[in-house]
Amino acid sequence: MSAMRILAYFRVTPDYEALRESEWAAGAARSTSAADGSNAMGEPNAPSGVDTRYVRRILNCFDESALELALRLSNALVRLGSAADLGALSVGAPDAEPHLKTLLALGFERAARVHAEAALDFAPALSAALIAAYTQRIDHSDLLVMGARSGPGDGGTVPFRVAEQLGWPCLTQVTEVEPLAEGRLRVTLMTEDGLQRLTARTPCVLAVGNAVVSHLRVPTLTDRLAVKDKQPFVMEPADLGVDLVDAVRRQATILTALEGIDWRRESILIAGDTPRTKAQALFDSRLKNLLEKL
Amino acid sequence: MRFTAVVDGTADRAADGPPGGARRQAAALGAFLRAGLTGAAGGDTLVFYHDEREKDRLVALAPTRDIRLVRTGLRRFERMAALLSAQAEGGQTHLFLFAGGPAGTELATRMACRSGGEVLTDVLNAETAPDRLSCRRSIYSGHLMGRFELSVRPWCVSVDPSWADSDESEAIEHVVLSDTDETGGDGPEPFADRELLEAPSSGDLAGSRFVVVAGSGAGSRGGVEHIAEAARRLGATFGVTRPVAMSAWAPMDRLIGMSGARTAPALCIVAGASGAPAFYWGIEKAGLIVAVDVDAHAPIVREADLVLLDDAVAVLEELAAIVAAEREAR
Repeated sequence: MSAMRILAYFRVTPDYEALRESEWAAGAARSTSAADGSNAMGEPNAPSGVDTRYVRRILNCFDESALELALRLSNALVRLGSAADLGALSVGAPDAEPHLKTLLALGFERAARVHAEAALDFAPALSAALIAAYTQRIDHSDLLVMGARSGPGDGGTVPFRVAEQLGWPCLTQVTEVEPLAEGRLRVTLMTEDGLQRLTARTPCVLAVGNAVVSHLRVPTLTDRLAVKDKQPFVMEPADLGVDLVDAVRRQATILTALEGIDWRRESILIAGDTPRTKAQALFDSRLKNLLEKL
Repeated sequence: MRFTAVVDGTADRAADGPPGGARRQAAALGAFLRAGLTGAAGGDTLVFYHDEREKDRLVALAPTRDIRLVRTGLRRFERMAALLSAQAEGGQTHLFLFAGGPAGTELATRMACRSGGEVLTDVLNAETAPDRLSCRRSIYSGHLMGRFELSVRPWCVSVDPSWADSDESEAIEHVVLSDTDETGGDGPEPFADRELLEAPSSGDLAGSRFVVVAGSGAGSRGGVEHIAEAARRLGATFGVTRPVAMSAWAPMDRLIGMSGARTAPALCIVAGASGAPAFYWGIEKAGLIVAVDVDAHAPIVREADLVLLDDAVAVLEELAAIVAAEREAR
């Protein structure tokens, strides 16, 4: 029986929670003062967009779940006596390289990056075109696993765009996946009707949502040493038949401006010496009346 | 510029199972049409349905006078997208509106891909012009609002889930313009053996009048459990932030924020959460927000009405004891 070829896609993003508030405000101000007003993001990160160059890079949280679920699926297939062939793909800047090395150490057999800078930040159609082209033309995968949302645009459209290009079905908000016989999978997903389980047949796209499995395992030093000579494979969009410059120019959905969001409230400090006195002051001043009405 | 609002009522079944999401979808689309969309010159609603017995109820929910009914299989999004794409071709309608959530995202995206149009999801408001659509939506995990312009038509737009907050509705005299059965072209079902494991369990958060939220400032699973116990004693519904759910310190169905529940309680006590925008989105409609945190510089301090700078677990335990004593004394 042929091995199930699993491809896990991920993105590395800046840790937005670590960015100073002043930088968000500055990014918004720069965007509205951009001279031509054609694209708020300008060229990579500056001058008219939000400058995220100085914050650490993290795995997008849904993608991290997707990577761990793909590893577990691959392990489960092997336990069942089937074969699995696991690969990883990232599209973006070289920030992804350390994560790709980690995945090789964890047992991923292939790790690839399609080189593209911030041009992809608000261009889900471009990300999808690159992912679909790699899946179909280079990897010949049977199953694509990825996070349901990723990147600063965070629209959740990429898995469906890829599925449309590949002509595959797609399940979203996936929380668990287990192997069955003959290339079939038992998939658990959160739907608007509640938590459901169903049988999916490969090929298909699985977009991972709020999975309980949320952390990627950590490789041991021995794991890392075993793959120290293995390097991720880097490709250019042109290698996949995508002219990135032209595709960016032809985009029909453009981000034109950024605006700050003001969520400030009164912020009245309840004073006291101990947790007890503060809780009492809160209760006496506001909660007593309010709780009676609830 | 005319629009078509799309409601997926295929999962609404009269006899078996829980009602599908058509009521929520229709409410969100209705609220968006009243307050979120400008420049459109009227439109209609396309309702997908599966169960004949649900038809009258689905018609009554529709947010426009004119309705077109289309019968398809249960949640057959690819089929629906193909039918919508055929509708858009050569038609007078260039704007297709979908409710927020995974189903709306899938339908809007698949339709845009098939019709050669553009898709934008979770839209807060939109303004039409003959050759473009301007939209606002939150970006960078809720840190900023982005303004987008869509040029190539049809425009497939899903509205932000916050539009479903509205429980207002208009009394509309509905007119059913057409009713077609497209179940014949459904093709083979891509997924089999569908079983419902659990009904939606976070619904108690959405409707709660009093919510207590634990953030990672609780420090440990034990700390979160203490806050959950205090919430129970206070009579509040318990929720958590994403880092707490990701650490498995509380079940995933307690998650509040962009990837979880959206709440609108009269009172919300936030215990040990920094106030990241993706979380705050889930409580922004709260009447009174009380923040308990040791960090005076955390965003939640500015975003709350009342602030207690102290250990979240200790304050919540004291508060629960005070309220319990007060109730006993009465």
